[in-house]
Amino acid sequence: MATSTDSDERNLTQRIDAWLDEDMSPRRAIGVYLVLGLYFAFLLLPVIYMVIVSFTSQEFLFSPELIPSLRDLTLANYETVLSRGDFRTYFYNSLIVATSTTLLVLSVGILAGYSMSRFDYPGRGGLLYAFLSTQMLPIVLILIPFYLLMFSLNLVDSLLGIVIAHSVIGIPLGTWLLKGYIDDIPESLDEAAKMDGCSHLSVLRRVIVPLAMPGIAVAGFYTFILSWNDYLLVSILSQTAGTRTLPFGLQLFQAQNTVAWNLLIAAAVITMAPVILLFAVAQRWVVEGLASGGMKGN
Amino acid sequence: MATQTESQFSRYKEEFASFLTDTWIGYAFVIPAAILLAVVIGYPTLRGLYLAFFEVSLLNPEQMEFVGLQHFRALAADPIFKAALWHTVLLTALAVSFQYLLGLGLALALKEKVPGAGIFRSLSMVTWVMPIIVMVIIFRFMVQNGFGPVNIILDSFGMRTTYWFGEPGVAFPLIVLMHVWRNVPFYAISLLAAMNSIPKEQYEAARLDGAGPLERFRYVTLPQISYVSMIMIVLHVTFTFKNFDIVYLSTGGGPLGNTEVLATYVYKQAFEQYALGYGASIGVVMLILMLTFTIIYVKLEEVD
Repeated sequence: MATSTDSDERNLTQRIDAWLDEDMSPRRAIGVYLVLGLYFAFLLLPVIYMVIVSFTSQEFLFSPELIPSLRDLTLANYETVLSRGDFRTYFYNSLIVATSTTLLVLSVGILAGYSMSRFDYPGRGGLLYAFLSTQMLPIVLILIPFYLLMFSLNLVDSLLGIVIAHSVIGIPLGTWLLKGYIDDIPESLDEAAKMDGCSHLSVLRRVIVPLAMPGIAVAGFYTFILSWNDYLLVSILSQTAGTRTLPFGLQLFQAQNTVAWNLLIAAAVITMAPVILLFAVAQRWVVEGLASGGMKGN
Repeated sequence: MATQTESQFSRYKEEFASFLTDTWIGYAFVIPAAILLAVVIGYPTLRGLYLAFFEVSLLNPEQMEFVGLQHFRALAADPIFKAALWHTVLLTALAVSFQYLLGLGLALALKEKVPGAGIFRSLSMVTWVMPIIVMVIIFRFMVQNGFGPVNIILDSFGMRTTYWFGEPGVAFPLIVLMHVWRNVPFYAISLLAAMNSIPKEQYEAARLDGAGPLERFRYVTLPQISYVSMIMIVLHVTFTFKNFDIVYLSTGGGPLGNTEVLATYVYKQAFEQYALGYGASIGVVMLILMLTFTIIYVKLEEVD
């Protein structure tokens, strides 16, 4: 009896092995698509459904119907949301803050990454660790002294204050990513440029920056979404409607007692649209960059 | 002889000068980043650690009274703190385990060269790219009573419907689900990249040695994705452990404190109870726990 179960088991393992060993047979392809289909339903269906609902009327949204008919489709939610002055302010603020943060992190990060990659000085290794260890800090721990500091610097309720706050969150990982990419550029290229009389700054401009472009795209993308998506720091620093960004605006909107879900969902779609478009443009570098970033230290 | 020493001396001098300038230029390039971090992160961190030993109110932060370890003793007796600590640890353990398993599964599926896998690989990153508040709005919409799609489906099967984020016992799993939903694609893409960098010859060699696919996965794939796995796990343990927005924006810690985590409790102590010192002491406990975890995990990985 025991032996028969044993052989059954071995039989099963062999069959699984044989199945896994096959090259791409139709049956195997169907299996793979089935698995991908489950992941698709789990990860993407909710997003797609939200986008569809954002184009339907309020009557449909609050009805116990699952699938909208063509009659239910309308652009009214977007018209209402986009015509609201406060929402437009939040959108522009988000755009200004995320763009400025990205530019600041990239300029400071390229300099620091170049320094850590090409120069040898006392404390270099420790500095990189110090940069990265800030990623471990619970932001809630530093929130209060941080707020008091910004207050004494007169940076509360200003877009500049938000840009600085987002930048310091983005600099450590940005610098680390850029250093990794600069490390991959052969140093002989710098030397050749220096032979031709280039200063460090022009080596940076003519050799490093063009060759590190994929890394700059990854670091820039990462910083932009970090800034665009942040809620916590903005909620502490922004005190009037004039300095609110989209995530903070959305939170105030969804925390009201009676939520106009049709408008909230349209606003949410508009909020995620820019980062998704940016991702679509940059995904070639970003997907590979993020993936290889983790392996750089290997 | 004298001229030789002299020329040697001048060469040393030159080298020393270039060493000095290189060192200084190196410092000059790194200084903008270092100063920004030191002032805006470093100083508030030290200040936060310091505050943990004082009684301070947000209403009058200038007035501080040294209380030593009193806050930490109070924490040991604070039932809300203990519940929040337990929720945080449980959330982190569950979220990271599911993320890793589902991410590994997705990576293995994407590794199969079926048409369309590349498109799916990019599309799936949408959940990771979108703002947390948008994710929260999606999930809250789905479980609205009366018109949320989840409840419409439950209702059609004659099952109970309610606003599920308000339901003790369901709200917490929903928080775990959001963490998993958001980060699975990132795991998948990182693990996939690690798998693709394994040389094909190793699989061939294992195959010739008579290793089946399951054994090849165990002895070829797993060891070579262990470094990326470690990075992913450390990254997400710290992310989940200290995350504030996902809980705060979806349940605010409720219902009845069912989803309260350390990050939201610190925030409430500081900004709603104005107890800066007490809030800071919770932050210190979070920091110590995270550092301990990271050091132990990295050391264990090195031993392996």
